[in-house]
Amino acid sequence: MADSDKEHLHKELPVIQPTEMKGQHYWKSLRQFYNDPSAIEAKAHEFMEGVVDDFKLSNLTDMSRRKFLALLAASASFAASGCSLYQSKGEVIPYNKEPVGVIPGIPDYYASTCSGCKHACGILVKTREGRPIKINGNDEHPVSKGKACARGQGSILNLYDPERLREPMKKDGSGFSSVSWQAADTAIIEELNKAASAGKEIAVVMNTLNSPTAKRVLDDLAAKYQTVKLYSYELFDDLTRQSAWTKSYGAGSYPLIDWDKAKLILSLESDFLGNEGNTIENARLYTATRNNADLKNFSRLVVFESGMSLTGMNADLRLRLRPELQYDLVMSLLNEFVVKRQTSRYALDKGIIDALQGYSIEKFAAESEIDPKSMDSIISYMAKYKNASILYAGDRLPEQVHVAVNLLNDVLGSTALYRKDQSEAVILPYSSLEEWKTLVAGMNSGNVAVVVHLGTNPVYHLPKSVGYADALAKVPTVVTLSQTESETSAASDWVLPTNHDLESWNDFKTRTGFYSLQQPVIYPLYVNRQKEAVLLTWAAGSESAYHDTLYHDYMMARWEKEVYPPLRLAVGFKEFWFSGLDVGVVSFNEQAEGFDSFNVAAFTSSVAPSAAKGFTVTLAESYFLGDGRFANNGWLQELPHPVTKVVWDNYAALAPATAKELNVDYNDLVEVTVEGNNLKLPVWIQPGMAEKVVAVELGYGRTHAGTVGSDVGFNANILQTSGGAFSQWINSSASVSRADGTFEIITTMEHHSLDNKLVENMQFNRGIIREGTVEEYGKEPNFIQQERKEDEPTTIYKNYEYNGIKWGMAIDLNKCTGCSACVISCNVENNIPVVGKDQVKVSREMQWIRIDRYYSGPPVEPRISLQPMLCQQCDDAPCENVCPVAATTHSPDGLNMMVYNRCIGTRYCSNNCPYKVRRFNFFNYRHHFDGEYYLKQPAPMVSNPEVTVRTRGVMEKCTFCVQRLVQAKQDALQEGKEFTGSGVVVACQEACPTRAITFGNVNDKESEVAKLREHPLGYYVLEQLDTKPNVTYLAKLRNV
Amino acid sequence: MNRTLLEYTLRVRLPILIFVALASITVTYFVTRPAREGIGYAPEQPIPFSHKLHAGTMKIDCAYCHIGVYRSRYAVIPPASTCMNCHKYAMKTSPFIIKLTRYYDENKPIPWKRVHRLPDYVYFSHSFHVNAGIKCQSCHGDVQDMSVVKQVSSFTMSACLDCHKNARTRLSYIPNIKPGPTYCVACHR
Repeated sequence: MADSDKEHLHKELPVIQPTEMKGQHYWKSLRQFYNDPSAIEAKAHEFMEGVVDDFKLSNLTDMSRRKFLALLAASASFAASGCSLYQSKGEVIPYNKEPVGVIPGIPDYYASTCSGCKHACGILVKTREGRPIKINGNDEHPVSKGKACARGQGSILNLYDPERLREPMKKDGSGFSSVSWQAADTAIIEELNKAASAGKEIAVVMNTLNSPTAKRVLDDLAAKYQTVKLYSYELFDDLTRQSAWTKSYGAGSYPLIDWDKAKLILSLESDFLGNEGNTIENARLYTATRNNADLKNFSRLVVFESGMSLTGMNADLRLRLRPELQYDLVMSLLNEFVVKRQTSRYALDKGIIDALQGYSIEKFAAESEIDPKSMDSIISYMAKYKNASILYAGDRLPEQVHVAVNLLNDVLGSTALYRKDQSEAVILPYSSLEEWKTLVAGMNSGNVAVVVHLGTNPVYHLPKSVGYADALAKVPTVVTLSQTESETSAASDWVLPTNHDLESWNDFKTRTGFYSLQQPVIYPLYVNRQKEAVLLTWAAGSESAYHDTLYHDYMMARWEKEVYPPLRLAVGFKEFWFSGLDVGVVSFNEQAEGFDSFNVAAFTSSVAPSAAKGFTVTLAESYFLGDGRFANNGWLQELPHPVTKVVWDNYAALAPATAKELNVDYNDLVEVTVEGNNLKLPVWIQPGMAEKVVAVELGYGRTHAGTVGSDVGFNANILQTSGGAFSQWINSSASVSRADGTFEIITTMEHHSLDNKLVENMQFNRGIIREGTVEEYGKEPNFIQQERKEDEPTTIYKNYEYNGIKWGMAIDLNKCTGCSACVISCNVENNIPVVGKDQVKVSREMQWIRIDRYYSGPPVEPRISLQPMLCQQCDDAPCENVCPVAATTHSPDGLNMMVYNRCIGTRYCSNNCPYKVRRFNFFNYRHHFDGEYYLKQPAPMVSNPEVTVRTRGVMEKCTFCVQRLVQAKQDALQEGKEFTGSGVVVACQEACPTRAITFGNVNDKESEVAKLREHPLGYYVLEQLDTKPNVTYLAKLRNV
Repeated sequence: MNRTLLEYTLRVRLPILIFVALASITVTYFVTRPAREGIGYAPEQPIPFSHKLHAGTMKIDCAYCHIGVYRSRYAVIPPASTCMNCHKYAMKTSPFIIKLTRYYDENKPIPWKRVHRLPDYVYFSHSFHVNAGIKCQSCHGDVQDMSVVKQVSSFTMSACLDCHKNARTRLSYIPNIKPGPTYCVACHR
């Protein structure tokens, strides 16, 4: 890659207007954009060069030929000597006492709540024989509405992580030794008593506290030990958004947004579809405005951002802007509307007019090098849809920008889009950086005697300038309650194992008007305890206070006394409680927070944020690892990044021009320095980035995360600033320079590319991606069909007639945001193994569904098209013709079947698949990955018993979740019903937060999928090949 | 001399040798086939439970113990607690019931020997077949007459397909029975 790739840095970038739509060239990487011969060559092959012939003995299992023969001889002699038992089929072990309601083979579902992040979405956990095997969304939950994100679904693997802490540990010299809970509790209670009586602080550190009952437990603890103080944080919080709101409107918290009523969304350095707020809800509401049947209410998404985010990928118009210029942008827009267009009552406000002096659109356009025409089009759109244009600033921007955005929304009347039905509930506000600094000072001076970490990892998270890690060493007693080891647990005196979500009781209140209940679906796997129960034991002052149902009883008692009576229900408490657990959500009447009028002084008194002109470093949360808490989860590590498709790493993303300026290429190391802290990171050249900006994701580079997650990527947390300059996560006075050496980043973006080297731009000519504009579609709804006609296929086969059910899928590309929840859902449902970075490097990732990301237009400001790609279940499947052993054949209901026990691994099928969706088990990946990590107990328990676990040498691919189809058919037939194929949900469809995926029987003309097959926007990928695929893609419409 | 010996070897001994070898392979293949397919397998169980007594003489319904058979893929081997429904009171002094009670009290599952087994890559559903009216006896034989349960029919793919293709003759006791599916994913996923 390196040498041939460097050429592109020295080529002049072609100038293409970003609004130009037709005749575009789609590309997946810069190598493809510049028609690098190796990239074109690669598309002609199924496997990467050298992948199929690099047989290294060391990669194989430990079994040598000699050993094999010896074992063969030994087993033959054993078999001979034990002839009488050759028929033995082993034992079949039933339950001793059957648990109530459990019938082996029939799954049970329990409503619960995910506490993987602060949003606490409702989940429905599928269990088999008492063992949780899949997490789905809970339909009854008013926010997540039946969907769970990639992290939430992947978190099931954390329950079975072989490296979860199994027993309490006490620091013993440089290591740890196991102790009993009794000993640990007794010693800690003694320390707490000592601290309280000496008047020394007991600091309890946690992430977002969103459970009212847990808050009560902490209050109890504080009542028993008077010196308890609570601290909470998130690696990425919304403190600036909230403080700006309080300044702007006097009180309350930032309202939720009615995204589904917006006509124009102006996102300023915000990733509301990927990382900010409840992204499940945001994506659902946003895509409600991307309905091709409702062009009138089709929204327009304009994104001003420096890096390339998931939200930016989905933008109709995406403009590169350095974060320091966001303030100028908002001010010049304010100037345009308040001063020039005299919009709103503020047009007469002298203070505001004064503050806006010196800002104008023309000046901003010149400064930011943004095309003034783009600005004009945005402004005219805003003027046209005044009450329906929402500006949304990112959490990472400074307070001044947020205040100005609040004012602009007020000016435009967009306050109409602030939700009145619900608002966020805050149980414990986050601690500010100042409070942390006070705590650290206390720790250093000996005023803090005990620090308790409640499942959190501040040693890794908090900015280096806070000095938390060093101060912690001076605290006499440090207790960490955690599921797994962490940087913080390594620095603790006591480490206590806690429950996973699926083993816990709790109640969550994230919004007004409802509680979301969490109930355990499995008994704690080890001697781990729920952290609230541990705190209650301490609050009781004696280790003997603990019993298994301690927190459960406590929570029920609180509900019986406090939650249940005001509801004035006709049913008894027990009935109420059990129906609440059954549904998972308890709703009640509660007013959302309102807000008054905008406080002008907040705006006029704020000064422009200082911004030095240097390199700007922006830090963002990893999409799948979160703040690093999912680092030891192989599924999430191997899920390709939504934009860059990078796996198992983070990197410094640079614009192509910036890379050229620094004379660096992909994988070259650069040294990034922020406030004296420096870090070497590999370069990722990201088309569409603003120049002189370095974007880095946090959550990587953990040192104590476990076998899978430790030393993956780079710990960029040290690049967080103390918040003074611009914001904690954006620093505009950083320096970046080229460093020696390289580090290889692995991306799947060029893997499995669909193309043909014979003709350039085949992707476009062959219509893999077809799209148009809303205007075009409004004028001529059949424009896609007209394009398709040119490719009318012919066939020499006689078509098979599908008389009964024929399965088909439709994917609406207008609704796909690239969130990748479908990929994880498929992984969990279909037992997809983790292969590791070395294997992804040679294109051996095993995921059955991938999200292809195509760029089009110039690398400076590319446009992005997304396309989930899975087995197309072709009627005339090319794979079937070439299998020498008939291991892949066609079913009468239109499935392209794959029979593992028949496959001999010739890989002909994969070679003949134009969609490149077949995956070959080059190894038995469960044996191969990281020292058989996912074979260690209890990790194999996560497997879905309805799907075969494939072994080495076997081809596999998407089956349309055939296990669910067969089950649904059997269920219907044995109940004596006719099976029409309605109501069957496949795993990717189940997970899609925006309902982009529709599945069903295409022979049932009433079914949704049959209608979508006839949709004017519908097309098939590579239909010219006459494979007759059964996945219909609905072309994306852009509102430009 | 050499020539005749070679001729004798090639013309007489070799064909005989090949014939004998092939014949013995063929005969062995067919003679041992039932045994290889497990027919006649009747392992000794930890408790000599008699289906003849329970299902035959006392006419306890199969589904009383095999609770999954109408609802689940698995017929389900009953837990010890099901036995104890009756044996808390019945036959309490029998040595095997004492053994059963001990398993129950010690909370240990009974390690029954498996008689019927399909490979792991086969996803057979009891409930679907039983609800279609197929009698247990069609595959498992006359269990109600067996003191010791043994396998009586073959559980190979060809045996499955034989019935799936010729359901009308094999299961003639069910009116209007349709042939079963014969495509791969009906059983393999």
